[in-house]
Amino acid sequence: MADRRTFLKTLAGGAAFLLAPAGKLASNTTATDAGTSFAVVKSKDTAAAVRKSVELLGGMGAFVNKGETVFIKPNISWDKIPDQAATTNPLVVQTIVAMVIEAGAKKVIVADNTCNDARRSYKRSGIQEAAEKAGADVPFMEKRKFVRMDLGGDVLKEWEVYTEAFEADKIINVPVAKHHGLSGVTLSMKNLMGLIGGRRDLLHQKLSESIVDLAFFFKPNLTILDAVRILKAHGPQGSTLGDVERRDTIAASSDLVKIDAFGIDLFGEQFREKGLSGFPHLKMAEKKGLGTSDYRTNGYVGLDLDKT
Amino acid sequence: MMKNLRRTSQILFLLVFLILFIQTEYKGKDELGLPVRLFLDFDPLIALSSLLATHVVKKIFLLSLVTIALTFFLGRVFCGWVCPLGTLNTVIGYFRMRRPSRNPDDGNHPRMRKYKYYILVFILVAAVFGWNAAGFLDPISITIRSMAIGFNPAINGLVRAFFEFSYVLAVPGISPAMDSLYSILTGTLLAFEQPVFRQMIPIALIFSAILALNFVAPRFWCRYLCPLGALLGFVGYRQLFARVDVDGEKCVSCHMCNRSCQGDATPFPPGQWTSSECLICFNCKDVCPASAVRIHPSMKKTGDGKVDLQRRHIIATGVAAIAAVPLIGLGETGKRHSPDLIRPPGALPEDEFLRTCVKCGECMKVCLTNGLQPAFNQAGLEGLWTPVLVPRLGYCEFYCNLCNQVCPTGAIRSISLEEKQKIRIGLAFFDKNRCIPYALGRNCGVCEEHCPAPGKAITFLIEEGIDRSGKSFELKKPVVNPDLCIGCGICENKCPIVDKPGIRVSSINESRADYQLYL
Ligand code: SF4
Ligand code: SF4
Repeated sequence: MADRRTFLKTLAGGAAFLLAPAGKLASNTTATDAGTSFAVVKSKDTAAAVRKSVELLGGMGAFVNKGETVFIKPNISWDKIPDQAATTNPLVVQTIVAMVIEAGAKKVIVADNTCNDARRSYKRSGIQEAAEKAGADVPFMEKRKFVRMDLGGDVLKEWEVYTEAFEADKIINVPVAKHHGLSGVTLSMKNLMGLIGGRRDLLHQKLSESIVDLAFFFKPNLTILDAVRILKAHGPQGSTLGDVERRDTIAASSDLVKIDAFGIDLFGEQFREKGLSGFPHLKMAEKKGLGTSDYRTNGYVGLDLDKT
Repeated sequence: MMKNLRRTSQILFLLVFLILFIQTEYKGKDELGLPVRLFLDFDPLIALSSLLATHVVKKIFLLSLVTIALTFFLGRVFCGWVCPLGTLNTVIGYFRMRRPSRNPDDGNHPRMRKYKYYILVFILVAAVFGWNAAGFLDPISITIRSMAIGFNPAINGLVRAFFEFSYVLAVPGISPAMDSLYSILTGTLLAFEQPVFRQMIPIALIFSAILALNFVAPRFWCRYLCPLGALLGFVGYRQLFARVDVDGEKCVSCHMCNRSCQGDATPFPPGQWTSSECLICFNCKDVCPASAVRIHPSMKKTGDGKVDLQRRHIIATGVAAIAAVPLIGLGETGKRHSPDLIRPPGALPEDEFLRTCVKCGECMKVCLTNGLQPAFNQAGLEGLWTPVLVPRLGYCEFYCNLCNQVCPTGAIRSISLEEKQKIRIGLAFFDKNRCIPYALGRNCGVCEEHCPAPGKAITFLIEEGIDRSGKSFELKKPVVNPDLCIGCGICENKCPIVDKPGIRVSSINESRADYQLYL
């Protein structure tokens, strides 16, 4: 029952954030930049929201050093346009690439192992063009570049991993908040599925365990959740535009568990009944020491740029 | 001089053909810019047989009139200067021609020239009675099909193996450079993904055999078998603008013209030149040591050579064609539609489809997922090498409608993307004895995740499941809604049961046929 209570508390917090007038939210902000471990920024100006969220965490320089190779993992799974919210917003990706380059990275790679045809998904998501414009390499994941390695997970023992992601100095995970038919939602941990190859569809049978294993193995240095638009039904690829809701929200943290807990709250009513126990991966991740699902208490900052 | 011009033209057209062939792939645009079916559009055999078989006049057939007009004035320049298969034959036949032999008429078999006319008669008569067999023997169709299904996968496989080997070797300096080159080549000169085709080997072998016949006689196919060559020979035999004229006074009877002749048109002995067989290659003029050969416009009959066609053989061929039409329809599929006969979206109703499709393989080449495959027995003998979707190999991508853009005859009719997305090409069925949630009591839902149908044709029935440790959980059993399922097959394609999937698409419920409706 403990997790039920935490959940309610979290939910109350989340709901307060979501419902509270933005001005008040901003004034709630007490944490200093240095102490911030979880930043949520709302703005119609997506690029500004992305920049602000990372700034609140201490700037991109806190995550990326000069001369490093950075692997950015957006969700490019589907042959859908940005309005359909099945893939990460291209502007979010573009802004992150720009920031990483400004921070002095030597090389930025943006890639995903797609579900639909890779060429179409890269193209129609708008991510290929946007990321290339900002200076990233956007290669297709080619089979030969997946190498079987020991992931040391509970379920995922040995699996094919995309070498360029594994070898990069830093990984930035850029999921989009979506409903998921099987697991309820897909957020930061599930997004890491795009870094592995092989018969990953098998993992659906133990989805929660698998994605926690992945989070543990890859430990992305920074996760930026795209909730500019969220997909509320028929996820993870959606069906009609009626499934999409505009939220203009970006959340950033190096704590995947916080991001996922926050992401679930984003859906509000939809998952209230289920509670956190409806999302077993959170508890598993906490138990493994990956982070905490209580994103509200320590180092939380929420900002609405359009209201301040 | 003219000979070199002819060679240049052949090389250029072959290059255009290859470029268009390589372009017949998704290159980032929903609309394929270059008309990759260009060569087929200009092919009068395809136009004529389709017209006869379907009684439908299509605007696109007009282009083939250009070829007809050209042939009418200049003879078989299409064969000699343009046809890509002709050019391949020229190149291989060249080696044969250079082999010295004591027989002055080595490699020439004028008596076999008639066979191609009988083949043409067979095709046209069969077409009149409703069987469009042109695709099996039309040179452009053969070439595109053989390249797409046979050679392209093989070449890709070899080049890829080479690069993969270099990648695995990981030689410092060299391998990374090779690998960047490999990445550039994939999706440009190489296919984006290794193509895989059923019947790759037989189709490649048939084409290899056609090429190998050049060692029996140069351009064997073009001289003795090609029905398009026969059609053009017929259209152009009275041409007045490029007549070969051998001056009997100057001729030294060296037979060089005959031995260099691409078409077995017998310029020697003087007066025997056969207009319908001449490919206007200019070899005879080039090779004649006595400068006895002229090629020029002339109202005068410069050659009297004939192909010894016999009326009774023509009639026999026609009768055989008429008899063949009902026979080829006698297969099992004439009685019952095969469940595996899943046609690409936009395919005409099956009867019409069979009469219209020329088996060129362009749709299979362009198919984004490699799901379109040449039929073997799914559509009967008549439907050999027509396209069928094999969902285990590749599914129909929801936002793609490339195949109807490349179809030269409209067998896959031209449809907008919105229309395509509403066409049902089949219906998915769960095999509850294999589907994981049903058979093993565990969650899976990969099919549901991938189903692109608006509103989702796959939804979950939620039941209480009990796991090994006795804990209860939400077991999500997928079901298909036949009103929404379009039969795209991505569910079957992605089903993690890699051998026999837990969900399969069959052709029932396809929009194009009433008799296939499920309910
Ligand atoms: S079958 Fe589907 S995926 Fe293949 S080319 Fe046609 S429309 Fe595209
Ligand atoms: S074939 Fe499968 S994936 Fe395609 S619409 Fe039908 S149920 Fe959905």
